[in-house]
Amino acid sequence: MNLRFRKVLLACLLAVMLLVSSCAQQPPSRYEQAQQESTSKGASAVVRESESGGSFNKFFPTATDGYERVYTQEKKGFAEAKLKKDGKEMAMLSISDTLNNPSANSKFEQSNQKIGGYPAVNQGSTGTAVLVADRFQVKVLSRDPSFTEGDRQLWLEKFDLNGLSRLQ
Amino acid sequence: MSKTIYELVDDLPTDNVTVKVLKSLDFVVPGEWQNLVGFDNTIRTVTGETDEEMIQQIGDRAVWLYNDKSQGYQRAMWLYQTVDRFDSALAAAALANKVSNKIPLMGFINRITPNANKAQSLDLAFKLVVEVVAFCQINGIPGDSIGDFVASLAEYSGESLMRMVALVCIDGLLPLGPDFILNVQSVLDNLSPKELTDNSAFNQISNMIPGGSPSGQLDFIGNSFDSVKGWMSGFVTDHNLTPEKIFDSLQNFVEFSNDKLDYVAAFLDMTTNYYEHTGTQTLARRLIERAIAEI
Repeated sequence: MNLRFRKVLLACLLAVMLLVSSCAQQPPSRYEQAQQESTSKGASAVVRESESGGSFNKFFPTATDGYERVYTQEKKGFAEAKLKKDGKEMAMLSISDTLNNPSANSKFEQSNQKIGGYPAVNQGSTGTAVLVADRFQVKVLSRDPSFTEGDRQLWLEKFDLNGLSRLQ
Repeated sequence: MSKTIYELVDDLPTDNVTVKVLKSLDFVVPGEWQNLVGFDNTIRTVTGETDEEMIQQIGDRAVWLYNDKSQGYQRAMWLYQTVDRFDSALAAAALANKVSNKIPLMGFINRITPNANKAQSLDLAFKLVVEVVAFCQINGIPGDSIGDFVASLAEYSGESLMRMVALVCIDGLLPLGPDFILNVQSVLDNLSPKELTDNSAFNQISNMIPGGSPSGQLDFIGNSFDSVKGWMSGFVTDHNLTPEKIFDSLQNFVEFSNDKLDYVAAFLDMTTNYYEHTGTQTLARRLIERAIAEI
């Protein structure tokens, strides 16, 4: 009986340990789905047809009024510059090709505002974006509380949006 | 399988020898580096956004970008990780060399370990080259654009600046003394392409280093060092840095049983991975900055 009891006890113990250890495992990350999809065969975050980042640079506004513009990233389908004032980071300026991320376009469907003649939206608490030629997203993101929504609109207008619309 | 980008950022330690050492260097660039860990936390801090749906979108896009090998982020991460691993091998060799200089019986080690100064000098030079290449991979500037990198050094801030400060202090001043720039320069000047290809640390990263051939790669390493040495010496002078100052500050954070600076430097090489730690933070920041702009 003793042997049998021990066996049962051992089995119960193992079952409990299994349960405890599986409970102790971390829940799947909220990014698990993106991880799975982006590592599946043929997945890519950037498509060949997208414009080179370098081709966007000439449409960025030149810095005036004590601002300084510093280019920071230039990847396929994307270019970004930061806007500084007195050495402080005030905003990020960017142009991206939405061929690489078509879902970015959908937010403009509800747009009831135009900047420079192009549909514009506010996004999150720090961003304002326009969609040029249904393809290029131009975005200004505040990095300092003193850089307001009005400032973002002003700087979006300073981009050569019409020039950009003729890029494709 | 290698770790995901969110695991790499989530797993960054909040307190270990690396973090302590970096904190001890805060006196050089006060307030510049905060130990930002956790993927969600990094998204919130970098973007200033708090909406969970927005954070999800940014994180998802960052994951996609990181996993697209053509975008260079994984290569940059690999470089930051690898350069930190082989410096411990160099440090072990350097320590053995120090010991062998003291104990005659171990004299044979002199023949099989690189000279301590040479090992440390190469360690610094390789780290610098990795910074140039990783910078280009992350920011998308063509692979051999040393000029763009040097121009951007003035813009370095946060964890990127801290990495350069640690390079100057922990891999330059501490092990090699105030003349560390001359030291590295002379080691590089006397290095042959054959010695470079014989170097096991270099071999690990050689296919990522521009130049085409060993002699071209040696030129690239020399040119990288040449164009950054002005920044480094200016930094040391501007901040009035000395090995003793760094050591004093380090002692407030980490206890050492031996006060010989070169031993301390070798110990730090073996116990810290500041390139990987701050490199992960830099990469996460750039990735998130791009992700929020693209969504």
